[in-house]
Amino acid sequence: MHGVSNSNIDLKFLIGGPQGGGIESAGQIALKTFVLKGYQVIGTREYQSNIMGAHSYFTIRVKPERPGAINFPVDAATVLDAESVLTHFTDVKKDGFMVYDSSTIKTKIKTIAPMPKPLKERLIKFFEERGMEPTAESAVKVAEENGVKTIGLPMRDLIRKVASETSAPLSRVSKTLNTIGLATTLYLLGVEPNWIEKAIATHFAAKKKVVDMNILAARIAIEYVDEHYGGPCCFLPEGPHLGKETMLATGNEIVAMGKVVGGLTMQTYYPITPASDEALFLEGHRNFELAPWAEEVLRLKKLGAVVLQTEDELSAIMSALGAAVAGARTSTSTSGPGFALMNEAISLAIMAEIPVVITVWQRGGPSTGLPTREGQQDLLHTLFSGHGDNPKIVIASGDHIEAYYDAIKALNWAEKYQTPVIHLVDKYLASTITSLHREDIDPLKATVERGKFVENPGKDYLRYKITEDGISPRAPMGKVPLTWTGLEHTEDGMPTEDPIVRDQMIAKRRRKFETIAREIPDSEKVVLHGDPDAKITLVSWGSTKPIILEAMKLLEKEGIKVNFLQLRLFYPFPVKPVLDVLTNAELVIDIEQNDLAQAAFLIRGYTGFTIEHFVKKLTGRALWDTEVAHAVKRIVETGEKEVVVSGGA
Amino acid sequence: MARSWLDYKTDAWVQWCPGCGNFGILNALHRALAELDIDPSNLVVVTGIGCSGRSCYYIKGNTIHVLHGRAIPTATGIKIANPELTVIAEGGDGDMLGIGVEHFVSIGRRNLDITVIVHDNAVYGLTKGQAGPTLPSWWQTKALPGPNLHDNLNPLLLALASGYTFIARGYAYHVKETKELIKKAIEHKGTSLVQILQPCPTYNNIMTKDWYEERIYYLDQEDPNWDPQVASIDDFKNKMGTILEKMLEWGDKIPLGVFYVNLAKDTFEQRLEKVIPTYREYPPAKRPVSANGKPLVDPWILFADKVVKP
Ligand SMILES: Cc1ncc(C[n+]2csc(CCOP(=O)(O)OP(=O)(O)O)c2C)c(N)n1
Ligand code: SF4
Ligand SMILES: [Mg+2]
Repeated sequence: MHGVSNSNIDLKFLIGGPQGGGIESAGQIALKTFVLKGYQVIGTREYQSNIMGAHSYFTIRVKPERPGAINFPVDAATVLDAESVLTHFTDVKKDGFMVYDSSTIKTKIKTIAPMPKPLKERLIKFFEERGMEPTAESAVKVAEENGVKTIGLPMRDLIRKVASETSAPLSRVSKTLNTIGLATTLYLLGVEPNWIEKAIATHFAAKKKVVDMNILAARIAIEYVDEHYGGPCCFLPEGPHLGKETMLATGNEIVAMGKVVGGLTMQTYYPITPASDEALFLEGHRNFELAPWAEEVLRLKKLGAVVLQTEDELSAIMSALGAAVAGARTSTSTSGPGFALMNEAISLAIMAEIPVVITVWQRGGPSTGLPTREGQQDLLHTLFSGHGDNPKIVIASGDHIEAYYDAIKALNWAEKYQTPVIHLVDKYLASTITSLHREDIDPLKATVERGKFVENPGKDYLRYKITEDGISPRAPMGKVPLTWTGLEHTEDGMPTEDPIVRDQMIAKRRRKFETIAREIPDSEKVVLHGDPDAKITLVSWGSTKPIILEAMKLLEKEGIKVNFLQLRLFYPFPVKPVLDVLTNAELVIDIEQNDLAQAAFLIRGYTGFTIEHFVKKLTGRALWDTEVAHAVKRIVETGEKEVVVSGGA
Repeated sequence: MARSWLDYKTDAWVQWCPGCGNFGILNALHRALAELDIDPSNLVVVTGIGCSGRSCYYIKGNTIHVLHGRAIPTATGIKIANPELTVIAEGGDGDMLGIGVEHFVSIGRRNLDITVIVHDNAVYGLTKGQAGPTLPSWWQTKALPGPNLHDNLNPLLLALASGYTFIARGYAYHVKETKELIKKAIEHKGTSLVQILQPCPTYNNIMTKDWYEERIYYLDQEDPNWDPQVASIDDFKNKMGTILEKMLEWGDKIPLGVFYVNLAKDTFEQRLEKVIPTYREYPPAKRPVSANGKPLVDPWILFADKVVKP
């Protein structure tokens, strides 16, 4: 089928399995396969708060251009253990296929220890009602009844076969289980074996033995499929980006990259999901070589950044603030619970005018809530954090590319405006891998700014000098004696309770935020996607952006024309641009992954505009473009106030 | 010309109660800094919240007044960002051993080269005399409505267990001796603790000047051969019994002086240098962040592990 158009290619598949069982690695190989073949991909991981044994799965979508969302049902599922079969047997579309392990298919639901009890009960009832045995085999039967092609692989035999052809011990060989399943799936989806082998070689890179063993496993799988099921009807054409260097990065990684590019010199953190992978990635790249253009200017070859794991989040934020007053360019990274502990320090940073970036990777709350699942519940928490009057910059990123540039911008703003900047991101972004090209993250597109950072303050330097724009020059420690403080103060940082000075200082800090509001262009505060004249406006923020953009295309096909107001900066808030769009619409629908509709609440507070319709997802699972489209359609057609969607296992 | 203690004084009004032990501590610190001839531009003093926390306004240097309990992590960030600064973290017993005790412990695990000074008056001075973490149980100082139900903790033992490599105790009104202890602590390479017994005439009516002065004695005066330095396994075997005994002594006799010095441990700065070769020369606060406003790195090279090459 070479030469056939690739423009209609839209593949979706999932790989399920126990946590710690190599699902992540299989997912990576799958993504690399399609990237090598010239496509764009996203892959997102759903996992439980568990290290080993609980069910997790990786969902992938492949398109000629970067896919913005995943959705179900999928074209194929690789479900090699009984729990995965039972979790996903209804997730595959008619005429799709499901690859399972025929040697474990008799497993009874009751005996699957890690399976959550409510799911067990639902499944047992489901099979009882159909007069079927409560086993994985029944799930395979139901899938077949639904028109799904089922591919049973005798895993035990296949692994023994791999073992017989290598000298490696069986325990090592059994790690190729996922490769066998994945190769089967990729092959049946229409990928030629040579691409699969190339992806395996790329993925395991220098580990030659591992590469060889996995390639052998893939070959054995493909042989078996050819013999028992026949190969795919036809092979996929090559994608439009064949031969292009492509980055595959999670949201955690892309933010870390943005920070390094943005000149971060010190990051502090206390471990928490889904934030810590960002800091660990940074730590893994803390020593770096300067790019040629920088080496030429600075005559320096190498530099490094410090990543400090602290005893708790209080220490994480305070040591970041300490480093900042010393003159470092700092950030810290956490999630809702950790941010809660940083609250008092946010207030200090506002009063003492200390630059710091706090990257907040939201997850499902309240409390420990759904620690490894998606949530957008910390908008109000972060925006209103800190006691006392508490202005700070709050920016939310919609996708990987925005997150990368926002990470750089946040560092610039923090130093320019000497204030905490909260960078709001979330678990979906954190654990979603996407493909990026050079033009998407071009280092030379970014500028690094420090504002009024003075390396050589004079003797009469005043830390809190009252200025027109509200911004006082900032000197690092180690130059002249100076005082920073969380108490109200005179220009030299000495505490005062004088009523006149108090008013002057409040006015100075207010002017600073007026400067910020003025200097940050509206285009960076809010974005209107789609036709400005559309009569229906969707409002949302954060990682829902690419999902909603995909949903808009689906709605368009149904004859529903909408535009989408993506909120980016929550403080200072772009009142007029937002109000202009909202008052122009006949129907406004707010889409959020929190129950309070926090952005809608803020819009009402800031602009007086009341949004009456809501789409919400609260299960902590990734939002689908199809869910958004259906929900919007329903509201348009029925006038319903609220539609709560809940797809995903 | 060497500096005088007056070079470290500010012109702020020192707002402690008359007779407060904090005056002695401040005085000792001013004199220690002068005798060490530390450039005020290179000196950092971080204080927490409390009567003692006000100290930062009375010392000429790079000072910062932060949150209750958080002087140590702030100092940690400063010192890591610029290891050439002389960094002192000061706070009360409540600040350092109550609300901020997690940091008091954790700094020891790093052996970062900062000096921790605890103004120990066994009460929460600034909030009007509640029981502090070093006030013994069943004692009832004057602002307490009933006796203290909590046992007192031992800051020296806690510091030892946490990994501090210099541990000393002084007494606020002994300015000369306390000055010497502070000097040694600042000169020590690694995390050092100076606990300073500090009478609070306003709220601690039990642990008064007289009460202390009947009990305190100096380790090196009692035993002219007193040598707190632990440099080898043998030293450890031979000396730790006595050191522990002295750290535990509290009651009719209260020892003062340097209890413990360990020079065998590497500092956090040295550890950082091992993993970041450019750290000494270009620590976080003294490093370029851009090349004329352009980023320093090319992500496509630095993050090549994330790039799929065709
Ligand atoms: C988070 C927080 N909780 C409580 C307080 C109130 N507070 C101010 S000073 C202080 C206690 C001070 O005691 P200590 O640290 O021993 O210092 P001292 O005044 O005795 O020198 C307290 C509880 C505060 N400032 N911040
Ligand atoms: S209350 Fe006590 S510690 Fe505070 S200033 Fe007065 S005497 Fe000193
Ligand atoms: Mg106290």
